[in-house]
Amino acid sequence: MDPVGTEDPSSEPAKRRPAPYRTPRVALIVVLPENHVLSADRLAERLRAHGDQQVDVVIACAGQPANLAALHQSVGDAQFLLAPAGTSSADLRELAMRQVPGDIVTLLTGAPVSEAGADSELFMTS
Amino acid sequence: MSALRALSVIVPARNSSATLPHALAAILASELPRDDYELIVVDDASSDGSPELAARYADTVVRLTGRRSGPAYARNRGAELAHGEVLAFVDADAMIRPDTLPRLLRMMSDHPGLGAVSATHDHASPARNLASQYWNLLLHFGDQRQAGTGGNMASPCAAIRREAFLSVGMYDEWRFGTAALEGIEFGKRLKDSGCGVLSNKDLAVAGLTRWNLRSLCREVWSRSALLAQSLGYQRTRSAVPSEVVFTLSRSLAPVFGLMCLVAFSAAFLPRPNVPANVAIVLLGAIALNLPAHLFFVRSRGLSFAIAVAPLHLLMQAISGLGLCVGWLLRDAVGDRAPDAATQAYSEVGVETWPPVPRAIGT
Repeated sequence: MDPVGTEDPSSEPAKRRPAPYRTPRVALIVVLPENHVLSADRLAERLRAHGDQQVDVVIACAGQPANLAALHQSVGDAQFLLAPAGTSSADLRELAMRQVPGDIVTLLTGAPVSEAGADSELFMTS
Repeated sequence: MSALRALSVIVPARNSSATLPHALAAILASELPRDDYELIVVDDASSDGSPELAARYADTVVRLTGRRSGPAYARNRGAELAHGEVLAFVDADAMIRPDTLPRLLRMMSDHPGLGAVSATHDHASPARNLASQYWNLLLHFGDQRQAGTGGNMASPCAAIRREAFLSVGMYDEWRFGTAALEGIEFGKRLKDSGCGVLSNKDLAVAGLTRWNLRSLCREVWSRSALLAQSLGYQRTRSAVPSEVVFTLSRSLAPVFGLMCLVAFSAAFLPRPNVPANVAIVLLGAIALNLPAHLFFVRSRGLSFAIAVAPLHLLMQAISGLGLCVGWLLRDAVGDRAPDAATQAYSEVGVETWPPVPRAIGT
């Protein structure tokens, strides 16, 4: 896990790209504004949809996730983008997009805690 | 996004940071429930931060790198990733209405024989300058006169069944590397395949682009030249009469004839009156294109019609020149095609991302 801050919004993935490559790089951004959750099942389902492709996962949270260790366990090689509490979903998406080097980037926003089921608590943010 | 979603909305974008947020916000404001469609934005190598802006709204953002590939290419890449049974292509400078998507879907559902439905251009434009007002009104004029069952997919918003889209070979990304007429060509191919295409004038979409004289001239020139060079004037005119090039060029031949007549008459006068001759030609040009000018009067009043009359004449002249150059190019160099390197990569079958453009049928 590589926690990623928001200090370097100007970094452009295209500049880091080395040589031409054959297949698109795929990334998944999980967006968790304050008091939003995402079930592990939903995340797994989304990852399964990409089959054998390698997917870079970035979890963009507003505030400190309450369960950082659990998150780490669930998505071992995910990057975490920790934005200040209160950051909106749209801002989180934009910030994460700046950090992700993918050619095909899918964005998945969690559901408000009030609408989520009990199995979603794994990914609740503070 | 679920694989069961009925609709995929695909938005190609290139350096669209000024209009893209408005276009995407309008899509999200649709009356269609958010879970019923996926929103895919395909960024065509923008340098203005369009992908990051798109990420604020979209489910999927595709970043095409390298040089510009064109909207046909971008739409095809978006369609390849789409899950919906119906694909809706919305331009990055188009603002749909809340009921546009549900109505498109309803029409497709009510008419199973219909392969595609396209919206028309709204006469109103958020940009208040004269050039933008004129251009949107001109596009609207063509749409209103010719809307119905035609092959026009050159709309800022069009929906098509995925099956039909794939069966005709998607957009022609090989010949149309820039934003011009790819929808015309695609709609024509769709119609030729026997697929029903409806241009619905009750479904209007506003254009957000702020046009100026230079961009208008460039647009009219590229459309006219490309139409003559790649599509064929007569064939396209019969298939897609609402195209703006035909609106502009409809009275060109009579105007040219009038100019020849005036010039010929002047040769026999002892003291030719040049201003009078020019005035005759200009008045003749306006008279021969009266329906468009009357439409401007009806829509915005006499002062607006007088203000845009010189602009309209200029666009007609540029369109005529563009058509002539296109015809010459067609004879001299043939149809449009990508550069030699791209053709070589395609022939060898080089696999890379973004993929090398493909010709239809390969």
